[in-house]
Amino acid sequence: MTAESAPTVGGAATSSTWLPGWFEAWFPVILLAVVGGSLPLWGDSFFGIIATRVCVYWVLVSGLNLVVGFAGQLAIGWVSLLTIGAYVASALAAGRVTPEIPAYVALVIAAMFGAVFGFIAGLPALRLRTFYFAMTTLGLSTIVTQIALAWRSVTGGGVGIPGPSMPAPFDTPWGFYYFTLILALICTWMTCNIAASRFGRSLVAVRDAEVAAEAVGIYKPGLLMTVFLFSGALAGLAGGLFATLQSYITPDAFTFDLSVLFFIAILIGGRGSILGPLLGTAVLTVLPEFAAPLVQWSTFLYAFLLLVIVLLVPGGIADLLDFRNRKPLDQHREIRPRPELLTKVLEDRKRESVLELKGIVLAFGGVRAVDGVDLQLTTGEVHGLIGPNGSGKTTMLNVISGYYAPQQGSVKQDGTDFTREGSYTRARHKIARTFQTPRIIGESSVIDNVMIGGTLDGHASFVEAMLLLPRQRRDEKHLREKAMAALTLVGLERIAGVRADRLQHSELRFVEIARALMVEPSFLLLDEPAAGLSVDEIERLGELIKAISRRGTGVLLVEHHADLIFDICDRVTVLNLGKVLASGSPDYIRSHREVINAYLGA
Amino acid sequence: MLVESIISNGLAVGAVYALIGIAYNVMFSASRVFSFTAGSVGMLGGVFGAILISRMGMPVVVGFLLTLLLGAILGIITEIVAVRPVLKSLDQHLYVLSTLAIALMIQQLTAIYFSTDAVPFPRVIPIEPGIFDQKFWLPILACILTVLGLEYLSRHTLIGRAFLAIAEDNYAARALGLPEAGLRMASYALAGMISVLAGFAAGQLLFASLANGPLLNFYGFVPVALGGMGSNRGAVIGGLALGLFQQTANYFFGGIFSSVAVFIVFIVVLLVRPEGLAGAATARRV
Amino acid sequence: MPTSAREPLLQIKDLSAGYGKIGVLRNIDMVVYPGEIVAMLGPNGAGKTTLLRAISGLLPWTGSISFAGTSLARISPRDAANQGLVHVVEGHRVFTQLSVEDNVLLAGYDLPAAQRRQQVEEALDFFPEIKAKRNDKAVTLSGGQQQMLAVAQGLVRKPRLLMLDEPSAGLSPVLVDRVLAAAGQLRAAMTAVLLVEQLIEKSLAIADRVYALARGTVVLEAQASEPGLPQRLEHVYFGRDGQAGHGPSPAAGAAHAT
Repeated sequence: MTAESAPTVGGAATSSTWLPGWFEAWFPVILLAVVGGSLPLWGDSFFGIIATRVCVYWVLVSGLNLVVGFAGQLAIGWVSLLTIGAYVASALAAGRVTPEIPAYVALVIAAMFGAVFGFIAGLPALRLRTFYFAMTTLGLSTIVTQIALAWRSVTGGGVGIPGPSMPAPFDTPWGFYYFTLILALICTWMTCNIAASRFGRSLVAVRDAEVAAEAVGIYKPGLLMTVFLFSGALAGLAGGLFATLQSYITPDAFTFDLSVLFFIAILIGGRGSILGPLLGTAVLTVLPEFAAPLVQWSTFLYAFLLLVIVLLVPGGIADLLDFRNRKPLDQHREIRPRPELLTKVLEDRKRESVLELKGIVLAFGGVRAVDGVDLQLTTGEVHGLIGPNGSGKTTMLNVISGYYAPQQGSVKQDGTDFTREGSYTRARHKIARTFQTPRIIGESSVIDNVMIGGTLDGHASFVEAMLLLPRQRRDEKHLREKAMAALTLVGLERIAGVRADRLQHSELRFVEIARALMVEPSFLLLDEPAAGLSVDEIERLGELIKAISRRGTGVLLVEHHADLIFDICDRVTVLNLGKVLASGSPDYIRSHREVINAYLGA
Repeated sequence: MLVESIISNGLAVGAVYALIGIAYNVMFSASRVFSFTAGSVGMLGGVFGAILISRMGMPVVVGFLLTLLLGAILGIITEIVAVRPVLKSLDQHLYVLSTLAIALMIQQLTAIYFSTDAVPFPRVIPIEPGIFDQKFWLPILACILTVLGLEYLSRHTLIGRAFLAIAEDNYAARALGLPEAGLRMASYALAGMISVLAGFAAGQLLFASLANGPLLNFYGFVPVALGGMGSNRGAVIGGLALGLFQQTANYFFGGIFSSVAVFIVFIVVLLVRPEGLAGAATARRV
Repeated sequence: MPTSAREPLLQIKDLSAGYGKIGVLRNIDMVVYPGEIVAMLGPNGAGKTTLLRAISGLLPWTGSISFAGTSLARISPRDAANQGLVHVVEGHRVFTQLSVEDNVLLAGYDLPAAQRRQQVEEALDFFPEIKAKRNDKAVTLSGGQQQMLAVAQGLVRKPRLLMLDEPSAGLSPVLVDRVLAAAGQLRAAMTAVLLVEQLIEKSLAIADRVYALARGTVVLEAQASEPGLPQRLEHVYFGRDGQAGHGPSPAAGAAHAT
């Protein structure tokens, strides 16, 4: 298997297919090359024009796919960037602002404008919730069209301007077709690479499990803005190509219907996929061309398809084509962690480290959820945190992991104070956690979920990932091996390639632990990991936790399950009504009268 | 004359935006999601009214009532098809897509079966146009009546109070035995009626035009963003302010740049105060 | 209290329930007779709230639940209330933007208007201090008063079985006594009460029978008057009892899931 040198998309680390890894990963590129490259052999010039249109649209949609399909940002008004790119390229090529500029240069400049405006269009996404952001993109597209109408000196107003013309050999219809096809192939290849890199996985993590993404160190604003830049650039480029294709552009070429087409192509194709939206774009562009009455009904049809997809097959075409995840799973799967393999995942910790919380006070509204709590965690120790409902256990854990900043008090590790730092910085400080309800990306495979834990290990930049340069390949190989080691450690290696939403609840808990271990944490925070586990699974969980602590990691175990706490903890702290009630060895706590009373509510 | 014109146009258009904003809010209160259909159904209110009264010659009252009925039906369809199925799903964003799909289908069907040109809307009350023409005060009257009607509903009827209960705490309402599914459907029907009322009342002002759909969708949402989700008072104030601002900008900068101005205000307010000027902060995530 | 030859009011057999993939309750058997107070105790995360939600129809479940002879399969809380089974949920969740009177009126939404008005008055009579504030918005009430309001809502339908989920949570001892005294009044009026609680002493003082739940199964069933109960319950809470049920440990986080 050439799995080391090529990305595997939606990863089967255990490649059970008869196809080489690179074929599966780059299938969209290969398909497009074969079908598109051979077009003149079986199609006429009419097909050629349509195919050119498909390629131009796909250049835009491939970028938008990362924004909508992967990052989950509902940018409905992306035709605005197509408009900007088209007018920039045309105005420059026609010499309306500057002396005439060669077509290739005009296209590059159009892409740059697209990148800038993509960035601007994306900024609201950082602060606004879904519907609001969708509205802003709609507003933007209206404005761009109106500016195009008004700015007559540059855009020709309602009359329009001619698009750039390509030099030979791309000045013939077939020549231009091959030009756009090559660009489309490059865009497909690049987005395939991004999808299979830690950037693609991070985007999906931000979309579906944002809280967990922060916990492993993914910085959403940086990631999103990078993608908006990239997507904007492709949209601008597509705009220039569109202008050439149309040969003359007016503002009403850039209808809302186009925005709808782009957007729906991605959703019909399926989120998190490259092949799906490619097929979706092709289908939606081609359909109206072959049935004249359909032209009028095309947008209605798109909307109807969208509704059907949302209600019946939310995963889109990609879901329908996902044969691997149709295979039935063994019903009687047991989770058998192998603590002895811990050495492959965690290095032996030589130096002791102390995580100290002092005087933490956190109030919500008028209620003090945490009212002056001190807590000390040491590496190599399992520290239990228990207390009745409402005692503040989970709030404390959220303070340590950075989701809440306390109003008073400090969080320090070996003297470094990071009380007010956000949750995404904890992974850098080697603090990892799991969640009360598993935060897993259902649509991704198990191993992709675990690989997210190692995001900070990656050194390759976005551009290196996009172009699949050697550093990116090394990163992926290393990450995949480490993730498999973590999965083997928790006993889930046989389902590495399975979609995570097919797993049982208890398996998801262990996947979270594997993901957290990828951070190679000095401190591991576990939020009620035993909930929903069977007696046997709890026993194995306990052994695994003990082994992790012996390896040198400090573990904070927030739990209700008394047996587990008293079996494996070295120290136990009891919280009640936001204050520390008692702290000491398990035996001391167990016989502490006040603790018992607090639980029994006397 | 100029100031009067800006004020009368501004308040009238603002009242229309406010009504659409209220429609958004009514749907949001009932289901915790926003629906793209508020503006599209509003557009249909104008178009349908024009067709029934002008083209088919029905009396104004009959045309109006039939249009209201259409709005209620569309609201119910939206709830059943686009909202109810996705509320159960864990995927929060699906409602954006399903309601967008419905809104688009409404737009496209209207485009196919009716004209895509703007159609003049018939005069509702047969008196001569004066300084304060009915095309200005009809929308304002509609807005006032709607706000008063909603107040009456929530203060003096049990069903109105049930709407408030569902909006505040859906779980507790369900446990108490309130028919929350039926109430939600009724809310959507009500929102549909408010939308078509806006479109109908604005018919003479904006003409009955297909283009009003996306226009009302966006401009009707701005009052919600400014005033805070679920706040009808905020929607009214936001809508009127928006209308006045837009007309003023229209005069000074021209139509094109007034929309840029509105958009910029919209973005700035949202980025500075995402919950709106009157809204409440969002809940904890972890 | 007569124990023989009584028809059960609520009968639960082999009940299992959970939240999505997370199983919480397993094979629960339980019975409540007319006119008695049954206390359900147990540590956090045992599944007590989940059980009440299953019974009233807020959650799907498998197994069998019958109320006064009729099966409760697939019915909603609204249908359950119509049949005389009312659930007062945890956390005194009243509608803060509405008045006290409106809150109680809404509880009688399905009743004919005149009957509703009368039963609302009778429900308010249980808690004179709430009745005095009938026109105030619920947000002005203290936590304890809101709890009393929530119980009053439950009483409007004149249920045959009233299920109370931790009415004492966050309340001062005095107010807890007030609320539990209301339960006693209900028993006197032949309304059965299923009381989920954390407070062992007070619950034992008022209940007729006791169940203890731990890790999703019933681990103890007894008459409230039996000697040595508090010690047995202590063992249950701290899991040291060898007889504590083997089964999946429920997700405590699920208790917050609505």
